[in-house]
Amino acid sequence: MAAYIARRIGQALLVIWLAYTLVFLAVQLLPNDPVTIFLSADAAADPATIAAMKAQYGYDQPLIVQYFSQLAGLFTGDFGYSLASGQPVAERIGAVVGSTLVLASSAFVTAVVFAVVLVASATLARKAWLKRLVLNLPPLFAAVPVFWLGLVLLQVLSIKLGIMSLFPDGSFASIAVPVLVLAIHVSAPIAQVLLKSVDNVHAQPFIDVLRAKGASPSWIFFRHTLKNAAAPAMTISGITVGTLLAGSVITETVFARSGLGQVVLQSVTAQDVALVQGLVLLTATAFVVVNLVVDLLYPLLDPRILKSGTHGAPRALVA
Amino acid sequence: MGNTNPPAKRRIRASLSVKILTVLSVATLALSACGSGAPATGNAAGPVSTEPVQGGTFVYAEVAPINNWQTQAARFYEKSNVLNSVLDRLTYFDTESGKLVSWIASEFSASKDQTEFTFTIRDGVTFSDGTPLDAKAVKENLDALGLGIKDAQVAPNVDFASYKSSKVVGKNQVKVTLKAPDANFLRATSSVTAGLVSPATLKLDNAGQSAIAKIIGSGPFVFESEKTDEEVTFAKRADYKWAPETAPNQGAAYLDKLVVKYLPEVAHRAGAVQTGQVDLVRGLQPVDEQALKSSGDQVLPAQGVDLTTNMAAVRIGNGKLADAKVRQALQVGIDRQSIKDTVLSDSYVIADSVLNHAAPGFIDLSADLAYNPEKSKALLDEAGWVVGADGVREKDGKKLELTITSSNNSVVIKPAFELIEQQWREIGVKLINRAADNTFLATAMIDPNIEFFGTRQFAYGGLGPVFGPANNTQTLNADTELNALFAKERAATSEAEHKELVAEEQRQLVTEKALSLVLWDEVQVYGGNSDAHVEFTSGTAPIFQGAWKTGK
Repeated sequence: MAAYIARRIGQALLVIWLAYTLVFLAVQLLPNDPVTIFLSADAAADPATIAAMKAQYGYDQPLIVQYFSQLAGLFTGDFGYSLASGQPVAERIGAVVGSTLVLASSAFVTAVVFAVVLVASATLARKAWLKRLVLNLPPLFAAVPVFWLGLVLLQVLSIKLGIMSLFPDGSFASIAVPVLVLAIHVSAPIAQVLLKSVDNVHAQPFIDVLRAKGASPSWIFFRHTLKNAAAPAMTISGITVGTLLAGSVITETVFARSGLGQVVLQSVTAQDVALVQGLVLLTATAFVVVNLVVDLLYPLLDPRILKSGTHGAPRALVA
Repeated sequence: MGNTNPPAKRRIRASLSVKILTVLSVATLALSACGSGAPATGNAAGPVSTEPVQGGTFVYAEVAPINNWQTQAARFYEKSNVLNSVLDRLTYFDTESGKLVSWIASEFSASKDQTEFTFTIRDGVTFSDGTPLDAKAVKENLDALGLGIKDAQVAPNVDFASYKSSKVVGKNQVKVTLKAPDANFLRATSSVTAGLVSPATLKLDNAGQSAIAKIIGSGPFVFESEKTDEEVTFAKRADYKWAPETAPNQGAAYLDKLVVKYLPEVAHRAGAVQTGQVDLVRGLQPVDEQALKSSGDQVLPAQGVDLTTNMAAVRIGNGKLADAKVRQALQVGIDRQSIKDTVLSDSYVIADSVLNHAAPGFIDLSADLAYNPEKSKALLDEAGWVVGADGVREKDGKKLELTITSSNNSVVIKPAFELIEQQWREIGVKLINRAADNTFLATAMIDPNIEFFGTRQFAYGGLGPVFGPANNTQTLNADTELNALFAKERAATSEAEHKELVAEEQRQLVTEKALSLVLWDEVQVYGGNSDAHVEFTSGTAPIFQGAWKTGK
């Protein structure tokens, strides 16, 4: 077990470091340095000011020095300086990350509940039409664009009916509606994968044995099927971190919420290089950490993973 | 209060029972709202106004959140519209009379050769931290504007490029000396980017000077609280009594509070006003104007007298556009009336020069700007660009493909250039439209291979700061003849001479050199609730000091 955990953590750190290095190199491919880009927003930037600012933020150093000093900065919590906002990157991100965490985690939990409810009702439905209807929901959810659903809901609920604010005002609706919009989109892949693996589990002999013993369908589903079908759904849940973050960008814009979404939008449009680097690093870390957690949970579902050494097995089901 | 309100405005601040009632009566309301006409428009005035109402909270929606509030960088509406209520300036430009009037400077004068300026500072003005706004504080501000603040990495203000030094003279006077004559210097002191801040603010580092909470001004509103990227709240300053000379309200603001919110989604702006969730919103789309008028709310076009018209500015020295004939062909290859009819609205005025119609010194060049595709084709033929197999003209193996960049600040800039793309195709020119793509803009700003920069810029008097300097991000190169003309204009010693030289600048830029392909006068279209009464500065910023609400 310890070796398994150590290997997984080592891989995670490697991925984060590679992501950071790639972004650093990508920034060097930009036609100009961060200071010149920032100052070009106004007319006639003074060359002396450009030089002074470059020196101030270390952009005048040789590449290799910049790379290692920035890398060293990360360990002390120094993520650089966001020129466009005039704040340290850590401060800029720190001020809003909580809002996104609340949105994304609530949406994730809601999405998982949605997916389980959907799959349970599809599996346990007695009427054929109901089953067909429920089965068609995930593709529909995946197809509905987040911004469109958000716009329509605000148009109806806020502008036509006046029962919620266009702005985040702390009311239940202004929290629940964005969460719902994001959750619907994120639940689609989880539900689809879960449906498929429930089918796979149900095709296995031990289910026949349970049925023969007279177990009810719902008892079989909740006691046996779900646990056995969970691994692929967990894998896909880990991967939805990307969807969650991308969805948050859109949701936050549509619902005028503060959060990483607005910061991503601003930093990319203003080409605020240090901020973009910080955001990429944060996203990569979030992605890696969530997938690390998923990986560390697998052995709890299926102890065979630790023995066989074929640690890719659960993921193979997804493919 | 006497004005014609539509029946029962729906308000989000309503109590729960009212909300339930609202849900039940939506259909009835929707019908009754359609019935009430009485649209109220105009640049300044709200509906038939009576006595201003004291008190209330005014909610204003801007289009994008702002984090960096550093005063000298307030060249974007999101910042200047808000800072206008927090910071006072030495002078004020009165749109109605077209004159510069006194504000914090009770008197101001220029030396004959436009190199020395004297400001007499009004007595009894204080910053909101209690520091007096005296001659010493003004000198510190002028130094920061003209020389920049090295320790805080604040660059000098472009409008103060000729600034040399200033000193306190007498009891309450400041004397400014310039390196070179500048007839437009006084006008630049009326700009929001020349807002006066407390000496304590000037001593802060860059992060401090960028934080709205730490920007201390002497304006009618004072920072109260902030929710990052969502809203900023300001409270009125009860002892405010130093409004610009021409302001109708000479005392404290009528409103108790001003809340600035952000509404990035353009589709909701009209609805936000109609439902009363905001009192005023900037960036109304032309398609929403009619809806707002028919619900009894207000469409408020604020004319940008302080700015140039919207234009495609030529990057001077660009190879494909080196020949003036090509640029002239493009100028008359634009059908401005069709842009207005298709993507704009009645709130927009077609440009007849590079200056707005209301700007001092404007001259009418409409005769030279008339749509004439036949003339365009003839000019391009003369310049040696021959129509190729695909309809795009070629010369020396190069195709006449041009790229435009612009920010997404204007809601109409992208569709306008889409239309120009079609119009130019007819004369054999291919336009690669990258308008409203801010990511592309950030690198294109410093790339001379991008032929056009779609923009409008603050122009306080002459056009030199807009088109002059060699490292200007708009044109990326200098034209020596033009620069000589700009220098002559700045050094003008009489008003008549200055006016004639500004006229010559316009003729050069629009007609002879055709370096500015002008489109429409700069205007910011605001949507206002029927209860809102608000006027605008010559820089299109709302004047909240004089604003009030009928219903509260």
